[in-house]
Amino acid sequence: MALPVIMPRQGQSVESCIIAKWHKQKGDNVSEGDILFTYETDKATFDEEAQESGVLLEVFFEEGEDVPVLTNVCVIGKEGEDASGFEPGGSAGKPKKEIEAKPSGIQVQSDGGSLSEAVEIINADNGGKAKISPRARNFAHKKGVDYSKANGSGPGGRIIEKDIVTLAKNGYTVTSSAMDEYKASGLSGIEGTGIGGRIRIEDLENREPAGKVYRGEQPGYEDIKLTNIRKVIANAMHHSLSSTAQLTLNSSFDASDIMAYRKKIKASMEKLGLSNITLNDLVLYAVSRTLKAHRNLNAHFLDDTMRVFDRVHLGVAIDTERGLMVPTVFDSDLKSLNGISKEVKLLADQCQKGTINPDALKGGTFTVTNLGALGIESFTPVLNPPQTGILGVNTIVQRVKAVNGDYKYYPAMGLSLTFDHRAVDGAPAARFLKELSFNLENFSVLLAK
Amino acid sequence: MPKIQYVDPAQSRKSGRITFKDIPVNRYDKTIEDEKANFSNEDFLRIYRDMFVIREFETMLNAIKTTSEYNGVGYTHPGPAHLSIGQEAAVVGQAYLLDADDYIFGSHRSHGEILAKGLSAIEKLSDRALLDIMESYFDGKILKVIENNKKYDSVKELALDFLLYGTLAEIFARETGFNKGLGGSMHAFFTPFGIYPNNAIVGGSGDISVGAAIFKKVNSKKGIVIGNIGDASLGCGPVWEGLCLAAMDQYKTLWEGEFRGGLPLIINIMNNQYGMGGQTRGETMGYDMLARIGAGVNPEQMHAERIDGYNPLAVVDAIRRKREILERKEGPVFLDTVTYRFSGHSPSDASSYRTKEEIEAWMEEDSIESFGEELVKAKVTAFSELDGIKANIRELMTRICKLSINDDISPRMDIVKGPDIIADLMFSNERIEKMEDRVCGVLMPKEENPRVKQIKRKVRTGMQDGKPVSKNRVFQFRDALFEAIVDKFYTDPTLIAYGEENRDWGGAFAVYRGLTEALPYHRLFNSPISEGAIVGSAVGYGMCGGRVIAELMYCDFLGRAGDEIFNQLAKWQSMSAGVIKMPVVIRVSVGSKYGAQHSQDWTSLVAHIPGLKVVFPATPYDAKGLMNSALMGTDPVIFFESQRIYDIGEMYREEGVPEGYYEVTIGEPDVKIEGSDLTILTIGATLYRAEEAVRIFKEKHGLSVELIDARSIVPFNYDKVIESVKKTGRIILASDACERGSHLKDMAQTISELAFDYLDAPPVVVGARNWITPAYELEEFFFPQPAWFIDAFHEKIMPLKNHVPKSNFTVNEQLRRNRNGN
Repeated sequence: MALPVIMPRQGQSVESCIIAKWHKQKGDNVSEGDILFTYETDKATFDEEAQESGVLLEVFFEEGEDVPVLTNVCVIGKEGEDASGFEPGGSAGKPKKEIEAKPSGIQVQSDGGSLSEAVEIINADNGGKAKISPRARNFAHKKGVDYSKANGSGPGGRIIEKDIVTLAKNGYTVTSSAMDEYKASGLSGIEGTGIGGRIRIEDLENREPAGKVYRGEQPGYEDIKLTNIRKVIANAMHHSLSSTAQLTLNSSFDASDIMAYRKKIKASMEKLGLSNITLNDLVLYAVSRTLKAHRNLNAHFLDDTMRVFDRVHLGVAIDTERGLMVPTVFDSDLKSLNGISKEVKLLADQCQKGTINPDALKGGTFTVTNLGALGIESFTPVLNPPQTGILGVNTIVQRVKAVNGDYKYYPAMGLSLTFDHRAVDGAPAARFLKELSFNLENFSVLLAK
Repeated sequence: MPKIQYVDPAQSRKSGRITFKDIPVNRYDKTIEDEKANFSNEDFLRIYRDMFVIREFETMLNAIKTTSEYNGVGYTHPGPAHLSIGQEAAVVGQAYLLDADDYIFGSHRSHGEILAKGLSAIEKLSDRALLDIMESYFDGKILKVIENNKKYDSVKELALDFLLYGTLAEIFARETGFNKGLGGSMHAFFTPFGIYPNNAIVGGSGDISVGAAIFKKVNSKKGIVIGNIGDASLGCGPVWEGLCLAAMDQYKTLWEGEFRGGLPLIINIMNNQYGMGGQTRGETMGYDMLARIGAGVNPEQMHAERIDGYNPLAVVDAIRRKREILERKEGPVFLDTVTYRFSGHSPSDASSYRTKEEIEAWMEEDSIESFGEELVKAKVTAFSELDGIKANIRELMTRICKLSINDDISPRMDIVKGPDIIADLMFSNERIEKMEDRVCGVLMPKEENPRVKQIKRKVRTGMQDGKPVSKNRVFQFRDALFEAIVDKFYTDPTLIAYGEENRDWGGAFAVYRGLTEALPYHRLFNSPISEGAIVGSAVGYGMCGGRVIAELMYCDFLGRAGDEIFNQLAKWQSMSAGVIKMPVVIRVSVGSKYGAQHSQDWTSLVAHIPGLKVVFPATPYDAKGLMNSALMGTDPVIFFESQRIYDIGEMYREEGVPEGYYEVTIGEPDVKIEGSDLTILTIGATLYRAEEAVRIFKEKHGLSVELIDARSIVPFNYDKVIESVKKTGRIILASDACERGSHLKDMAQTISELAFDYLDAPPVVVGARNWITPAYELEEFFFPQPAWFIDAFHEKIMPLKNHVPKSNFTVNEQLRRNRNGN
């Protein structure tokens, strides 16, 4: 018997995943354990293995499509079996009609089949409080259908088995909250002609579109859909800048000591079994120690509360192909330099591969971001709310300073500290930066502490 | 009524008068000297001893109940103990001549009767027979307790302790009691000694004992039956019904050969002159002297007599004379044994209804003391010897008491260790083809029976060539019942059937047509219109070891037999701890068309009572198979039939109804039609209206319905139903019983629990309205109709497109009806 493969739910908060890559194509033979497809959440990438052997009968989504979790993605079965019964009618299915609606992105479609079964937009007040028969609930679970989207047609609006069958077949209609938003977006003038005044597909089609949609010729540009991770970054950045009072302080310090120290380590790295400790690792180490005396920067600003942390959980910004990721080195104030170095390497590697555990991407109390390798001399890092501070590490430039009446070149490394002025005033932030510089300039002394 | 008896208008209308014979009152006037010819000194002393054993037994119980101590032995007994201190002469005198083949039945106040009868049986049974009884009873469990406790010089001595211990342990609810403690004080009995159940329902033995006497007569058994009931029970309807059934003319006019003649039965009233606190003579009854009642029952006046229950010899004399009457087949006999209890109704009785002087006056004449004085006067014994007897008995009683309250020796049922001990006793679940192995009394070979021949020509399927077979040609539901019943009449010689219009009429619904030709009167007879006694006597017949089918004609008459069904038929197997079997089938016919008191389905009432099996077949195949099962078993079965379908053919089984023997297991429902969208479970004739609904569901709404016939109600195997509900997710339960309190609600609840996760809607019960049954022309508004199924489905399970309901199954209506109680 043909069996569907659903999009797994990776964690309670995940609602959909993007198909990153198909490893098998429709018609391929698959064996149990073969990787069928790779998919990603906003934070990580996973491989879905085949649970049984057979032929990949049908593939419902293409690479790049965003698939609601628990939705049928493909079907494995015996050669010649009919898999059409498993086709999800969901938003990413193969709609015969589609209307692009306003920012809420609501899509309404019909299977175009029986007239009497025209999909209705209904005000199903199901969210969390849906009345549903035990049988329907079990069936929804089995089919991987979110029953809160079902239209309860039983007595008193109870969702019954039939409704889940319909839902699984036609895809879900519009939830009440989406409906509200939908109406607010300017389409509220629509008169429903369905049973009980429900808005039907025809009602939407017959209406003048709110904005002119370009049709016909080549448009001269390409619309590239945002990846999930891009959407997340976009939201996070906008949120940060719009919801905090951030400003940046710039300074630099004499990096001679840390450079000498690093050189020493590099020379005896293999002998001592040490990690390839980078300058950035040294900065992280110094930050983790210095923050202890500047608790307002190792904190979360929660509107009416400051949550100051006992331990330092350093967020480390990593540049990946998919975008910026910030894994956390927990308890970094307790870890050795070598320990921090090793952990950062491991986390960075996981971020690059997309295999990072989503939990490792949360929980930071302060962040360090480094653009030094790209020659940046100073910048304004963007806070990672509710954290109160983020340190930007810049490139090293040669500067001169007067020593004993003489001019001397020294390697100067720039530091850019962005902080939330709501939480911390300028002077205390500057004092942190000063102490950090001192510690870095006297790194071997710091190590002795 | 039989045609051979002519109801002559000339005779009926002739002028004349009824004359009565004198009814003797306390006519015994012999002295000990006079009786020396009939009794040896040992006999006299044994009578004295037996009376004192009973006196001391109850003195002990009274002490325990009122002071929690007897002879230094402390014990609390929270249960009942209705004592009869003062009545010892009446019971010892009655039992004196009786042996184990004579059966007595008692009341709630019968410790004395049990002990007296037991003592008499011990005296008459051989040592070997006594040992056999004691060794085999509960595998010698009770005997072992006695033997481990003491060395005995004689078997009779051992048996005396056995009797006292078994009775007391029973009263104290010990597993080593005669009924494992399940009977208790008011129901203790020991059938191997001819001691049949006592009864906590006043007058309960008044009709059960009649059934025992019918058993003796029909099966040519030795011995007589005595039904001991109290004076106040003469106010109970079933007692009068019992008297009517016991005194039917037909025994002497219509029963044939050796079976002709009166029942070997004495209805003995232990007349202690009080019904609890009500004085029967002078206050609550009007008979003046109770013996008068015999004059109202039959021309023989039931050989009624008042005897002096304070003189044991007067009672022995009466029983001797009355037993001769029974042996001449001139019974039954009615005895008014006058006596008096010093003790209260129960130990909590303050005797507020009688004076101290009255009690003292009767104590002054204490039967034991005065009998002892007479014996001394007649030089049969000396006071010192009597004192020695008393001392011995007190010592014996102390020993038995200690033994009975010892939790190690006399434990109670361990329901923790054996949680099903009582559950397993609710039904005997045996298969016994014939209760006795001998020739069956029949009038002709079965093949020559006109009904059997007629049935042979019938078509055994309901459909032939796609068309229904005509009523005249089809093998009907009633034929199926007949086939099972007639078969058993030719197999089990103990089987009898009776009820109203059972014989010449052929049963009100022609099930028995043809049986009259096949069976002699003593195996098939008409009873008086006495539903209580019909069932009560069947209980007595069954507990003695005979198989019986009693018929109540209409289900609505079941109320008339309420106590007999609820308290007697249902309970004796378990209250006897499995000693008694109850191979009794009660046929109950559910009517229609006949209004409020003739059209009710009361299956729920009997289903509620533990200890009854309940079936309600709706097809000829099931009717025959279930009747065969009922008649093969040893449990009481309430066998419901519906008057709507006596003429129906077999519509579901293509092969029709087999000619040979087969059984349908009691408790197994049957899938009549398979389906996938909805399950309908019906009880009884509602099946056919549900089938019509199945057709409508299919044709109008495209829904496939699975139709299941419950067939049985108790026991009931839910497997098939649950399997079906798992498939369909929806179920409607329907029957013609009024919906409130219907057993369907119980089933619906069970299904909800067993299949909750599979249900798409709560199980829906479609029953009759909670009204009186209206006239036939209005029945469609009362009984479930095919459309009701659709409406209920639409309203409660899944709204149907374009369906306009006619009946109201909405939630608000449900609330309103409940609020209004209708």
